[in-house]
Amino acid sequence: MHEIKTGSLWLCLQQAPLDVGAVSTFLPEEKSGAVNLFIGTTRGKTGEKATRLLEYEAYEPMALNVLEEIARESERVGRSYRLCIHHRLGSVPVKEASVIVGVSTGHRAEGFAISRFLIDTLKERVPIWKREVYDDGSSEWVQGRIPPPVAS
Amino acid sequence: MEEASSPDRTLHVKVCLFSSLRDLTGSSHHHLALTSPACGRDVLDAMEEAFPAFRPYRDVIRLAVNLEYASDGIPLNDGDEVAIITPVSGG
Repeated sequence: MHEIKTGSLWLCLQQAPLDVGAVSTFLPEEKSGAVNLFIGTTRGKTGEKATRLLEYEAYEPMALNVLEEIARESERVGRSYRLCIHHRLGSVPVKEASVIVGVSTGHRAEGFAISRFLIDTLKERVPIWKREVYDDGSSEWVQGRIPPPVAS
Repeated sequence: MEEASSPDRTLHVKVCLFSSLRDLTGSSHHHLALTSPACGRDVLDAMEEAFPAFRPYRDVIRLAVNLEYASDGIPLNDGDEVAIITPVSGG
């Protein structure tokens, strides 16, 4: 498990099932009036094919660094009091959570906006990959997104 | 570090591969000896030479050096860890 946990930030990459309860306990604080959570789960069907599970792997130390960077960048979207991003690695069966992003904010509008920024940017930039394992036992790497280029 | 610019010096880098590229080469780590000075692009060229099936990936990959995204032109130092990042699919 790779983890960063401070009073206001909790980032985690783990093999164990994600704990939504622990995240929703961590997030609220006295000044916040909203907690916004996004939970990504394994879909049971991709096109016509039945999916059994997704298998995730990460370049773990870099993934944690990039998550921290994204958390910092989210300050440009809005002010959050506490922020969590937890991503599961290894096998994630259908219906189970692969990712949780959550924030506590003063009001709901910035909560929705920051959560959306976090999950969208995670999908574009964090070095994590998933493989679909189908019911017939075959599998394939999911066609992902090319992270933004770095200027020379 | 003055020696780094010496033309006949060899520098060693560790190359990390994931997902489809790891499957393609059969290993998550490779060690490369490059002639100094070398940059990120030299790692990609060396990998392509060793694994011709690598070629189609050239247009869609990003490099990371010592855990940070980098341009292909980044100068490399001895002992660097260079990761070849295929399109990511977390979430």
